[in-house]
Amino acid sequence: MEFKDYYSALGVARGASEDEVRKAYRRLARKYHPDVSKEADAEARMREVNEAYDVLGDKEKRAAYDALAERVAQGRAGAGAQGDFQPPPGWDAGFEFHRSPGGGPADHADFSEFFSSVFGAAERRSATRRQARARGEDHHAAIEIPLDAALLGGEREIQLRALEIDAQGAPQWVTRTLRVTIPAGVHPGQYIRLAGQGLPGHGGEPAGDLYLEVRIAPHPLYQVEGRDIHMALPVTPTEAALGAQVRVPVPGRGEVDVTVPPNARHGLKLRLKARGFPGGHLYLRLEIALPPADSEAARAAYHQLAQATAAFDPRRHLGVRS
Amino acid sequence: MSRTIVTTTCTAVSSAQPLGAHELAHACGVSIEWVVQLAQAGVVEPTPPEAEPQAWRFESAHLQRALAARRLQRDFDVDLDAAALILDLQQEVRRLRALLHTHGLGH
Repeated sequence: MEFKDYYSALGVARGASEDEVRKAYRRLARKYHPDVSKEADAEARMREVNEAYDVLGDKEKRAAYDALAERVAQGRAGAGAQGDFQPPPGWDAGFEFHRSPGGGPADHADFSEFFSSVFGAAERRSATRRQARARGEDHHAAIEIPLDAALLGGEREIQLRALEIDAQGAPQWVTRTLRVTIPAGVHPGQYIRLAGQGLPGHGGEPAGDLYLEVRIAPHPLYQVEGRDIHMALPVTPTEAALGAQVRVPVPGRGEVDVTVPPNARHGLKLRLKARGFPGGHLYLRLEIALPPADSEAARAAYHQLAQATAAFDPRRHLGVRS
Repeated sequence: MSRTIVTTTCTAVSSAQPLGAHELAHACGVSIEWVVQLAQAGVVEPTPPEAEPQAWRFESAHLQRALAARRLQRDFDVDLDAAALILDLQQEVRRLRALLHTHGLGH
């Protein structure tokens, strides 16, 4: 595990004031926001920045982190080579982490192993000390499901890496594999709730729940937009002009024959009702594909078509004479 | 690193299996009073709107917006009215991007 330099992640000096840390964070949060950033690694950078701010933006965590960094600098911690950091046992004795208002496990789902082993366990111990009886916190993660599996539902295995405290009180990484039956028709942005799979409760209270945000894996043929599914449907000029029956694959449900109406134009959208996610449709967008003029017969046929449609001028609206 | 397999059941948060106001609050790590503020600012629109908070029901989209609003509030100190506007604009940008993508014009 690598020791994370949170100060360089935010681009601030070690002695930076609270205000400087906050300003640096806000600037970077705007720069790497997934909806506005043009940077290729925006999502990964945003995660780093969020994690760094979670620690440096919190007085208690920052003090503990500084103390740990000091020990690392003096060679008294993380005995391993660089890139093989282990927090020394009991390093955080005397520090109490209170979760900042508005901060919670929902924000920590994407954080690094370094963060979780340094702060995850300590936060949880503090929570246990503070609350004699309380239901466990809910946990959040994302799950990417292939399109067919989302539409049809079915059993899937989900692997989650979680930090657990062993009998000696040391944090330990545990991979939990959950086998769940995904309900049919889950759509992107929907949450799947697994009761009792969140963080353990305190004082005999039940565990929290686990919420998985559904993402649909990219598909070579279909694009998902909300509850609708879109697909490009290539047709020949003959099929578009004269109309045709063409067979198309339907996501998760085999194949179906579709009628292309006569005089169909490029870009025309055909809607197949209720073939998307529940409440959505499947849209086919016509793309006219030209047969290649790569033989004498094909070239002759194109000439013949030109003669038969000599009155047709696709550039009439440009106002120039051909 | 150990490995355990747990077979468990799950539900999709939807109109058929919605979250109550307390459940939404717990999922966001906040109090129910904050959920009431969210509803007043229009960040979430509980059903039925005229009911007492105890009877409110929320779907997945509300959970997504509530979590995003909480992050905006924590990171940028925005008030909830501004958060509602930011989330509406964000939703519109994503919708238009998806539309571009379905026309083969996306990145």
